[in-house]
Amino acid sequence: MYAEYDLHIPDDLSDALGLLADDNGGKATALAGGTNLIVDMRARRERPDHVVSLDRLDEMTGIENDGKRVTIGGRTTVSDLLRSPDIAAMAPSLVQASQVFAGQMVRNTATVGGNIACGSPAADLVPPLLSLDAEVELTSASDTRSVALDEYFTGYKKDVRRSDELITRISWPCLPENTVNSFYKLARRKGDAITITGVAVTLTVTGGVCEKARIVLGAVSPVIFRAMTAEAMLEGETLTPDLIAAAAAKAAEECSPIDDVRASAEYRRLTAESLTRRLVSQAWEQLS
Amino acid sequence: MTDTPEVASAGANVEYSQLGKGLPRTDAPGKAAGKTPYAGDYIMPGMLHVKVVRADIASAKLTKLDVSKARELNGVACVITAADLPDRMAATDIPGQTGQKRLDTDNQILVRERVRYWGEPLALIAAETKDIADRAWELIEFELEPIAGVYDPEEALKPGAPIVQGKNNVVAEHKIKKGDAEAGLAAADLVIENTFRTPFQEHAFLEPEVGLAWADENDVVNIRMSTQVIEHFRFIADAIGVPHNKVRIRGALVGGGFGGKEDVTIEIYLALLAKRTGRPVRLEYSREDSFVGHGKRHPFILTYRTGVTKDGKITGIDVQMIADAGAYVYLSPYVLLYAAVAAPGPYKVENLNVYARAVATNNMFTSAFRGFGGMQACVAYEQQMDEVAKALDMDRMELRRRNFLKTGEPISTGFIPPSAIWTDQCAEQAWEALGEPAPSEGHLKIGRGIAAYQQSYGRLTFLHDTSEAWVGVEVDGTVIVRSGVTDIGAGQISALGQIAVEILGVTMDDVVIYNSDSAVTPLAGTTTATRALYMTGNAAKQAAEAVRDRLAARAAQEFGVEPGDVGMAYNKVYVVNNPEQSMPFVDLVKICAAEGVHRSELVMFRAPFSDHLDPETGQGQAHPDYTYGAHAVEVSVDTDTGEVAVLKSIGAHDVGQCVNPAAVQGQIEGGTQNGQGYALSEEMLYEEGKLVTPSFSEYLMPTSMDMPKVQSIILESRSGIGPFGAKGIGEPALTGVAPAIANAVADAIGVRVFELPITPERVLMTLREHQKAAE
Amino acid sequence: MSTNKMITLNINGREEPTEVPAHRTLLEALRDLGHVEVKCGCEKGDCGACAVLVDGMAVDSCLTLAWTSEGKEITTVLGLGDMETPHPLQKSFSDTGAIQCGYCTPGLIIASKSMIAENPDPSEQDIRIGLSGNLCRCTGYTKVFDAVTEAAAVMRAEGGKS
Repeated sequence: MYAEYDLHIPDDLSDALGLLADDNGGKATALAGGTNLIVDMRARRERPDHVVSLDRLDEMTGIENDGKRVTIGGRTTVSDLLRSPDIAAMAPSLVQASQVFAGQMVRNTATVGGNIACGSPAADLVPPLLSLDAEVELTSASDTRSVALDEYFTGYKKDVRRSDELITRISWPCLPENTVNSFYKLARRKGDAITITGVAVTLTVTGGVCEKARIVLGAVSPVIFRAMTAEAMLEGETLTPDLIAAAAAKAAEECSPIDDVRASAEYRRLTAESLTRRLVSQAWEQLS
Repeated sequence: MTDTPEVASAGANVEYSQLGKGLPRTDAPGKAAGKTPYAGDYIMPGMLHVKVVRADIASAKLTKLDVSKARELNGVACVITAADLPDRMAATDIPGQTGQKRLDTDNQILVRERVRYWGEPLALIAAETKDIADRAWELIEFELEPIAGVYDPEEALKPGAPIVQGKNNVVAEHKIKKGDAEAGLAAADLVIENTFRTPFQEHAFLEPEVGLAWADENDVVNIRMSTQVIEHFRFIADAIGVPHNKVRIRGALVGGGFGGKEDVTIEIYLALLAKRTGRPVRLEYSREDSFVGHGKRHPFILTYRTGVTKDGKITGIDVQMIADAGAYVYLSPYVLLYAAVAAPGPYKVENLNVYARAVATNNMFTSAFRGFGGMQACVAYEQQMDEVAKALDMDRMELRRRNFLKTGEPISTGFIPPSAIWTDQCAEQAWEALGEPAPSEGHLKIGRGIAAYQQSYGRLTFLHDTSEAWVGVEVDGTVIVRSGVTDIGAGQISALGQIAVEILGVTMDDVVIYNSDSAVTPLAGTTTATRALYMTGNAAKQAAEAVRDRLAARAAQEFGVEPGDVGMAYNKVYVVNNPEQSMPFVDLVKICAAEGVHRSELVMFRAPFSDHLDPETGQGQAHPDYTYGAHAVEVSVDTDTGEVAVLKSIGAHDVGQCVNPAAVQGQIEGGTQNGQGYALSEEMLYEEGKLVTPSFSEYLMPTSMDMPKVQSIILESRSGIGPFGAKGIGEPALTGVAPAIANAVADAIGVRVFELPITPERVLMTLREHQKAAE
Repeated sequence: MSTNKMITLNINGREEPTEVPAHRTLLEALRDLGHVEVKCGCEKGDCGACAVLVDGMAVDSCLTLAWTSEGKEITTVLGLGDMETPHPLQKSFSDTGAIQCGYCTPGLIIASKSMIAENPDPSEQDIRIGLSGNLCRCTGYTKVFDAVTEAAAVMRAEGGKS
């Protein structure tokens, strides 16, 4: 491919952050897996002056489970997620998303941090993470802060991350026992395709009552979002098919999908509703 | 002859030693090791790199093209525009016509003034490195003034539509009139009318177009090229203004063609630049170039009116076809002809009217693609059969049984195929093999579908097709085959080896095949039209037989028997009735070598030659012969999302005689992937002629997660006109797949989607409309 | 801007120096070094034809930069075996008829090797998921599934040495 930039390959995180903070007479972009950035640079959609490779930053890897929270480094790859027993136990929706994420070579390279940072409404790891109440840790040369993932995105491809910050860690609370967490990806073929409608659902049920509900919709709005009104309809209730159908309808109402080469807005809305209904019903049945 | 031949299943009429065995192909180990070079793997010192500059509006006038800044960039060897080629045009008609008057469809090599499709080439850059070529590309300045364009063939037919080609955008027309269709329809108990639509399709070969050209010490332009047709040296020579013997195509093994490398793609650009710069030049298309750089499958609109009696006998069919020829004619007239000839399907239709037109638009030009019009017709006629069965409330297989064309009966053009017509057996076996249906459960509905087909093999007979092959035996008993045939992945050259060793009684380890050099290997014709095995296989067989006969005559002298009593197998020459009387093959060869017996032969095989079909009635001979078969599938449809999963996929084909079963299965399995993608997920979307699905992220063909394991049922009637009674399978493997899937989906959900691809959205929307209508 | 740097790439066990700019992908660098067994199909990670092993794991070399590949072990299909001593995957692909035009084959073999290294006894569904990033237009994948299953068995019998 043809592009013009200075490539830096720092050995540790503080060097990398220093490079990102230093304007250096140009725009600096972090390079994680490269499965988005290199494609964008080749297509001339991204023209950074400086590219900072995160390839050597071991500080940004690792998966830990302390019994209360699961914490993963921003450079955790999709394949890392698939290999991890902690992820299997504490984030089933993330496993389901990972299994249908692109192809093997991309899974081996693409990172969780990169998937969040790319801001695409079709980013498949984001709905599962939102359904798990994830938090991201943003680190810069000057400070570190935590942002709830559902406050991270502010608009289409807009987020609160500054250009000098990296997503260094993502974490979420361990799932309680009586919980189902699942994800479904709807696309025009089963392998390696961009999502048309993505739905992640978490249901915690105690004493026959839905204690907690998360319904997250991807690729059907400018931003991946929690259908909070729909969630509120379920929380505290004993779920019935009619109630689930009503909540699913409400979730679909909360979308603002577009027509594009993959699908029409109407199809996205219809399938957001039917998939929400299906995932919530399946979760409820499993827990009853 | 109207008797039903027996199905030849396991038992062979003749025992072969090499034929009919799934021997590893000669080209496989090299490819597995990564050692086999493709056209893009060759480099030469001093090689320049080429980039094509393309128009970014589909219908426009080129008002400014300034390449001066690019020319001045350090490292740019030259930039060519139409201004540098004032009197040069390029032929785009079907190649390999000897002495026939070819159609006047010559085209500008680079845009002079009028742009007719998005991506039409404006200029060529040759630079020292790819990076410099990329930077030079950014320095090209051009302006296009939009001209009103038309992007729908039905719109293009309307009076007052923008004119893209000719006087009225109609670039080809075919008619078939057999019997009296209107009378047949009037006599029917029921007339069923439907319109089916098929989309553009991209070949999606994994190896993009690529080549390397240089002018050698004899001033011959050599092109190392990924192509299906080395005979294009003639068109290339004409386009650059040199005699035909001054262009040499050295074809490499091709990384997929499927018809997309059948037309001239980049050869003329390479030849022009090689001559102009005096240096080797290399051009490799990016995937994005490839998507806009070669012709696509013709979209068709097919309207069928089928008349049937209450008992399900077809009384008459009227077919109206409109094909989108895109911006330039290319092979549209021929694709249209195939579709018209195939229109009724493998059925007995005595009253037939077909009216087919190919219409120019400002979409991407359309040309050859595996199936070549026969596939689009099958999408229509087999869905129509299911709709007719539904209207009659008759079993779908039973309707077909009552109408199947039988051996010895004439097809739509009045021609009687010389081989067996085993459609019925193929259909029965494919349908049987589906076994017990999976149960429909909840939102998942199960459906089954079948499609039977007729697909030609061998080129149009009015093209007077020929093919040459040379077979020779070395003094040490090893065998050489030389033929221009290009191998595009189906084992075209390995098959020649398998034939030669069968005849000469040696093994695959003893043969080497030299292929695809237009100056040095005898010209075999195009690898297209499912003709390679039929044409070049026959040539190689006859050449091997000629050598064999001369060797056998000498052996007969040695043994004191008649030449007809001599057998050759497993590197031995022996007396057939007394095999102990034998000698090693190599010993016989040594004797013959010493005595000057001619140990090689060059054969030209000729297909039947015919005239054009009658222009009003379409009657006559169109092709040498036809392959018949069927494809059956079982699908599940998710009625919440519209997703279709193919659970079982079975192709049953009468291939005449299998040369290599693994290769035949490979064709069936691969053809199934193509047909499944065409049916369900492959869509090229154009907005005002601009392709908005320009890469493999948007253009979705089936992956390993989308394909079931495909089952192949191979029937062998041994009645084909290819070597040993073989028929062709390359295109036939593909023809019935998409309609079988469409029929299965309709079976699952009770309503039909009439337009391909049957995407999840189309399924869901069709279901909802159907439910609303029912309420 | 984009000056060249001298780097050394470890390819199939050999140290190969090359001078490349920052934007040079591993795919381009490998092919420029004569490793034409690594194929270019799309340059954007959609097709898998360019797959190579980096430290034993399959990656799309078109999405990998040459500079960041320094210090890692790069294996192409020629590093797994050759025509005289084919790797079990090369042999099974060749013998089962899983190769037609062959252009996707190196990438498929690399992806299969990487998948089997993690999962020595893959089911048909495992193979489907493992190879979903490798497009093939010729074979329809049926014989590829057979070839991978056969090779995995041979590789298990060899104790995972290949």
